[in-house]
Amino acid sequence: MNWLKAFNPSDIAGGMKLTGKRFRQVLFTANRRKVPMHFVAEYPEVKVKLAPRYRGRLTMIKDEQGEIKCVCCLACEKICPTQVITIIKGKKEGRKMPFPTRYDFEMERCIFCEFCVESCGFDSIILNHQFELATYNREDFSLGMEGSENMFENSAVGKFSVAE
Amino acid sequence: MFKNEEMEINLGPQHPSTHGVLRVKLRLDGETVTHCEPIIGYLHRGVEKICEDKTFFQGQVWTDRMDYVAAISNNLGWAESIEKLFGIEVPRRARYIRTMLTELNRISSHLLWLGTHALDIGAMTVFLYAFREREQILDLFEAFCGARLTTTAFRIGGLREDLPPGFLKQAQAFQDRFLACVDEYETLLTENRIWKKRTVGVAPISAEDCIAYGVTGPVLRAAGVAFDIRKAFPYAAYDEMEFDVPTATAADTYARYQVRVEEMRQSHRIVQQCIDKLPEGPVMAKLPKVLKSEVGEVYHAIEAPKGELGYYLVGEKGSGNPYRFHVRAPSFVNLQALPKMTEGKLLADVIAAIGTLDVVLGEVDR
Repeated sequence: MNWLKAFNPSDIAGGMKLTGKRFRQVLFTANRRKVPMHFVAEYPEVKVKLAPRYRGRLTMIKDEQGEIKCVCCLACEKICPTQVITIIKGKKEGRKMPFPTRYDFEMERCIFCEFCVESCGFDSIILNHQFELATYNREDFSLGMEGSENMFENSAVGKFSVAE
Repeated sequence: MFKNEEMEINLGPQHPSTHGVLRVKLRLDGETVTHCEPIIGYLHRGVEKICEDKTFFQGQVWTDRMDYVAAISNNLGWAESIEKLFGIEVPRRARYIRTMLTELNRISSHLLWLGTHALDIGAMTVFLYAFREREQILDLFEAFCGARLTTTAFRIGGLREDLPPGFLKQAQAFQDRFLACVDEYETLLTENRIWKKRTVGVAPISAEDCIAYGVTGPVLRAAGVAFDIRKAFPYAAYDEMEFDVPTATAADTYARYQVRVEEMRQSHRIVQQCIDKLPEGPVMAKLPKVLKSEVGEVYHAIEAPKGELGYYLVGEKGSGNPYRFHVRAPSFVNLQALPKMTEGKLLADVIAAIGTLDVVLGEVDR
């Protein structure tokens, strides 16, 4: 009786019914419901909501006096699996702790694993929530700070991205 | 002279149905495959050698990039093999959270397999449905560890942080709707006559051949061998979980599809048990400040979504990195069975065979 099954269209009809049901839901209720039926973000217009733990680009944190918190313990430089961080130790007047005269961050090799942030005992670096990190020039990936100039902030990288 | 009628063609390495950069050299007689030879190495990065140069802590980021659709499974194997080498006892809460995330990862890996495999064979709708649920799982990963694909989720001795607030609620929301979603995939495929024509009896491989080639995972279970490392050699918190090992006897593409769909249901069951029974307590074991290994070797295998994923580590005295590191990658071993499955069959069945083996080329080439 197997050949009789060939005339029974229930297998195809079941799939079509499901597709039709979903299509109807999206078409007629998409913008009217509080919880929309569609799962796609309308990305460039509507920003994606990121989780608080999202791992974006490396950034340095300043303390209340507006001074960089890093004290050059080199923990992040040692733990980094791809060696993207290079720190040159130095001194600054009126500061007991060492001060980084140069903090280089080569973002083109960074894999955003957050090991550096985990190793930092002074909470002086974080990975922020920027994810649009593409640029046209390779030089734009060389971030860091030199002297008092913090190239993390002035960088053109991710200028379209959401604020923290 | 008449032998020239055999034609040699290359399938891949940039063909979309080869799931990455797999090149398959085929000799065809008309539409029948007479010789099939997978050529690999287009994605070779030398992960094993790099990890020997890195500390035990750092090596985890390379395991993310082997089987990139099941990164958490790879992280688990890496973390557990090192814990075995050092004899570290992981807290119970950490083991539960690890089990939960690994099972969610198994679901997401199978969903990606289901979507792309059906897309290769010609059923496009399932792809959209499968990626809808996969998106929710990736959101859970993002909430837990901050990344969706290259997770770097675990640490030696436990977890970096406890679950974020609201994670269990979010996971439960996924759990509540997932079983209905599996039914949706089955509505679209299981009884569909086109799907059955493309899969029933296609690319068979017997249990004896599977064992001879070392094939593991759903491909082996679809041949009737109920071998699952979660049951045979329990790790993480699997000894406290209740689940079945689905098997089938037909050993064809359709049977593998049924086994994987049933595995998704079983994973759903394990995740539910983890949420319900999640114990309180710390998530990180007490570790020495610097991990210096003794002389010793360890092999630790876990059940990755693709099959047996084994890590072999050799420790050197006083060294902070492994002396030798080897990965027994399930995709690599399973791919050997491709000529056996396809020779003498039609060209169109090669696509189904590559899909049903569920190879990820990042893991094959390492």
